[in-house]
Amino acid sequence: MALFYGLLSLARYWTAPVNTQANIDLNPSALPAYALFSVARIAVAYFLSLAVSVIYGYVAANSAKAERLMIPLLDTLQSIPVLCFLPGVMISMVALFPTTQLGVELGSILLIFTGQVWNMAFSVYSSLKSIPREMLEAARLYRLSWWQKLVQLELPHMAIGLIWNSMMSVAGGWFALMVCEMFVLGNRDLRLPGLGSYLQTASNAGATRSIVWGLIAMVAVIILIDQLVWRPIIAWSEKFKFEQVEASESPGSPVLNFLRRSKLLSRIASVSVAPAREALTLYFARGDAVPQAAHHERNLAKWTSWILAALATGGVLYAVGKMGLMLTSLARSDLRDIFWGAGATFLRIELTLVLAALWTIPVGVFIGLRPKLSAIAQPMAQIAASIPAPALFPIVLLLLIRVGGGLGIASIVLLLLGTQWYILFNVIAGASAIPSDLKEVCETFHLSKIQRWRKLILPAIFPYLITGFVTASGGAWNASIIAEYFRFRNQTFSITGLGAVISRATDAGNFPVLLGATIVISAMVVTVNRLIWRRLYTLASTRFKLEFT
Amino acid sequence: MNRTRADELQTILGQGGWDRAVAILQRLDPTVAADTFMSMPYEDQQVLFRRLPIELAAKLAPIFPYYHTFVLLHSLSKDQMIAVVEKMNPIERSMFLDELPEGAWQQITDELSEHQPAASLAGGVSISVQDRAAAPMQPIIEARWIEKAFQRPDGGQIQVIAPTNLSVEPGVIVALLGPSGSGKSTLLRMLSGLTAPSAGEVLWHGKPLSESTPNAAIVFQSFALFPWLTVLENVEVPLLARGVKHAERHRRALRTLHSVGLKGFETAYPKELSGGMRQRVGFARALAVEPEVLFMDEPFSALDVLTAENLRGELMELWLGKKIPTKSIFLVTHNIEEAVLLADRIIVLGRDPAKVRADFRVPFPQPRERNSAEFLLYVDYIYKLMTQPELAAGPPAAADREVKKSYRMLPHARPGSIAGLVELLNDRGGKEDLYRIAEELLMELDDILPIVEAATLLSFVKSEHGDIELTSSGKAFAEADISTRKVQFREAALAHVTLLQQMNSALQSKSDHSMPVELFRDTLDEHFSDDDVQRQIETALNWGRYGDIFAYDSENDRLLMHQPNLADH
Ligand SMILES: Nc1ncnc2c1ncn2[C@@H]1O[C@H](COP(=O)(O)OP(=O)(O)O)[C@@H](O)[C@H]1O
Ligand SMILES: [Mg+2]
Repeated sequence: MALFYGLLSLARYWTAPVNTQANIDLNPSALPAYALFSVARIAVAYFLSLAVSVIYGYVAANSAKAERLMIPLLDTLQSIPVLCFLPGVMISMVALFPTTQLGVELGSILLIFTGQVWNMAFSVYSSLKSIPREMLEAARLYRLSWWQKLVQLELPHMAIGLIWNSMMSVAGGWFALMVCEMFVLGNRDLRLPGLGSYLQTASNAGATRSIVWGLIAMVAVIILIDQLVWRPIIAWSEKFKFEQVEASESPGSPVLNFLRRSKLLSRIASVSVAPAREALTLYFARGDAVPQAAHHERNLAKWTSWILAALATGGVLYAVGKMGLMLTSLARSDLRDIFWGAGATFLRIELTLVLAALWTIPVGVFIGLRPKLSAIAQPMAQIAASIPAPALFPIVLLLLIRVGGGLGIASIVLLLLGTQWYILFNVIAGASAIPSDLKEVCETFHLSKIQRWRKLILPAIFPYLITGFVTASGGAWNASIIAEYFRFRNQTFSITGLGAVISRATDAGNFPVLLGATIVISAMVVTVNRLIWRRLYTLASTRFKLEFT
Repeated sequence: MNRTRADELQTILGQGGWDRAVAILQRLDPTVAADTFMSMPYEDQQVLFRRLPIELAAKLAPIFPYYHTFVLLHSLSKDQMIAVVEKMNPIERSMFLDELPEGAWQQITDELSEHQPAASLAGGVSISVQDRAAAPMQPIIEARWIEKAFQRPDGGQIQVIAPTNLSVEPGVIVALLGPSGSGKSTLLRMLSGLTAPSAGEVLWHGKPLSESTPNAAIVFQSFALFPWLTVLENVEVPLLARGVKHAERHRRALRTLHSVGLKGFETAYPKELSGGMRQRVGFARALAVEPEVLFMDEPFSALDVLTAENLRGELMELWLGKKIPTKSIFLVTHNIEEAVLLADRIIVLGRDPAKVRADFRVPFPQPRERNSAEFLLYVDYIYKLMTQPELAAGPPAAADREVKKSYRMLPHARPGSIAGLVELLNDRGGKEDLYRIAEELLMELDDILPIVEAATLLSFVKSEHGDIELTSSGKAFAEADISTRKVQFREAALAHVTLLQQMNSALQSKSDHSMPVELFRDTLDEHFSDDDVQRQIETALNWGRYGDIFAYDSENDRLLMHQPNLADH
């Protein structure tokens, strides 16, 4: 009933006319409703991403031709900071649905979707590609229909990777959602009712009590989702693990146990899911027995794929042409702004990474080498990290302005908030993975502290550190878009940077600059990934791998 | 040349001209005739041998390798066999008999001395051969000149299977033997229709695979079960694919599970079972569809010795007791004893590229005793065949298709193992049966073959007729102390191993005496597959470092010229 009522009110709200002056109620009693709105956005975007990623990955893995195009594309899209698209998406969505709230909502969902889908699609693709050859051969030899193969082999095989990536994606989704909910376009306040806008409004008003309540609600929602959704799913997905022997301890979930014991649910499943599955599989099995039809279908599929490819190429060419035209109208000063901004942002991000590494490496190693400590510290750090950084931006800004730091420091603090956790987690993981016999060897050789770091610890955590840096750098580029330009109590703070250029162009409706800056930022991220991180990554996975063979 | 003559002879045989073939052989010089005869497929040899006049058979028989003669003789009826042996030149006959291992010698002398043909071993075989000759059985699978080449990433091709003809007849277990990496699995995949050959065609019941749906099943070495399905669900997978409805599917899956001894495990997941039990599920899944041909790709290799033996026994019980409707079993293995134990017919594959080296029947009845004379004779024969490349008895591969290879494949063996083998031989007085050594060391052919090949390549040993014998340099190596050994190893390696010669001279000529290993990898890439390149480089590094030819800097993946003072440090 509650669910139904919730859906109904959501629907009523979406079709309501757009409210240009968002009214955010700071009363804590309004928080559950805001939380529901935020969760609903995430959920819709997530299911959309799930569907698209499975289809994308499936097509890329099953067609060699599509693979050649789709995988490099995926690789590039995956590394472009999603918030680059925020202004563009919002502007076009509001233009498409000028009269209803639906436009802004769709915009935010589309944006969250864009942030979620690529790594999930990649996970689907690589799971499908890594199905053991002999299993595929068994499927071919016994002539499994595509449906039976999907249900009995491919979906189970991709489950674990997809679930982990879903968790990461949803965490990223919160990040994007917070930004969307606080979004202001020029003089139009497009803020969406939700936890993000609540926190922002509370900081604007300096309402400490509301800020605290908002943060509590945020953490509660994230913990609830973790316990009610992810834990049960992870425990359930244990059976898709590929290990040869049964693990001695596997994650459990009280919720899952409850669901499993429920008689009602199993009754419902046995009269609905099982027969439907049987009927579908038998249907496709029979359909497969006629080889002639397959030939005809293949012809059809060939034609469809040609037409689709032609349409896509046409669309891309048209868009590129349009963009080219738009870019020609850039003034020289705009170009200078963009490139100066790019340089400044790049330096700011690298500085942030260095600062983050400086505190996380010693702390992470300290924690990681002490199993008892990491058992306590890890969950706490996880909760801290699960609060999406943009939710904290208004609060940090509020504090810094009170103590009198400029946006220069604030932006770096903001970037740190968004990035340091990735490095910390990875360092802890790396340090706790150092085998104890290696530690003992160091003891017996009486290595000095410096030698120990140089010979054992740094090499051991290096691959993990690189992984952390790669993720952190991606997050930092994303955060830079909102960390360099801020409206606060009707004042505008901004510093030199690409993010500021983008935000300013958005406010001013200057589309050529917006486009140019977006292209530059995407190109930079992709280049840095290719030239630096990927190489370090290869180095880490070959040279510094702890191998015992 | 006898290759073209063999081709000519085969064409004649193909047209059914057995008598003309006999006439041609009669005209030839006996050694040439024997040579030509040997280069034909064994199936043809068998039929032709039966048609040879006794005199000619007696003239040719002693020229063949003795074990081959033994097998051929036993493809005759007993009377014929005795007639041929008695017609042999007495000196040649006693030489032939002397060469036989003890068990085989005992058997043939018994056969020669006892005159009642009843209940004889060879009798049974000769009947089956006669059957075949009278009404040639329609093969289930027929492969015509199939070959396989794989695309390499750099665009080149690796020929894995040379043009091959093969047929699988109903009622037999065929074993395909060969060292690992020789292409057995590839051949199996082509026969079962899983992969298309690069050239040639595979026919099932005379029809190409595109027009027929072969009823085949495969048992995999890795089991290839779906870990998220229960045992029962796994067995139901192929039935479900055929659209068998729930009740019937359930019944058939349960019945198959019971027949392989898995009653009570229906709801278990594969990971809860032991390896042997898992492979039973593999068998059940394969047998559930009542396949016409049951393919097995090293089904027992992942299991421990006792479990494997047990499972083999149960398989034979199902097969011999005709409890399964399967018409033919095609078993891929690298275990010689397993092949001789189970198979009615054995095909031995050579490598690089794979071609049929020998194809013969195992003419003694089931159940077979592992230490019976005939069993050991066959095991011995196959060992010899596999260790001696020149013994090729398969159909000639078209010469122009041979892959050009300037590099010889480096056998993947550690210097320590080579030294071990040489020492063992020295302890045994310098000469020993390879089969004995393998047995004594509890090593499978796959493990010991590369070591023997390596020792042969370094000319520490030479192998002949399946015996291996120390050479003088091998003897010196066995008796030397460690530092002398290194010098001897270095000399032998530089004299015989192209890759090491190249590495050495490259290092000598470079001013900084160092060289990236990548360079040699690239060179090898043109000749070998990625895995092979990896293995060869690894071997070369091992040998080079052992022989102090160079040092290897793993940080930078470079070779450095060996500097004695540094190494002593
Ligand atoms: N799909 C493939 N692509 C490239 N090379 C392959 C492929 N499959 C097998 N090979 C190569 O073919 C050779 C024979 O392989 P395989 O048939 O598996 O040998 P076996 O079963 O006798 O061990 C090996 O050198 C292997 O590297
Ligand atoms: Mg194989």
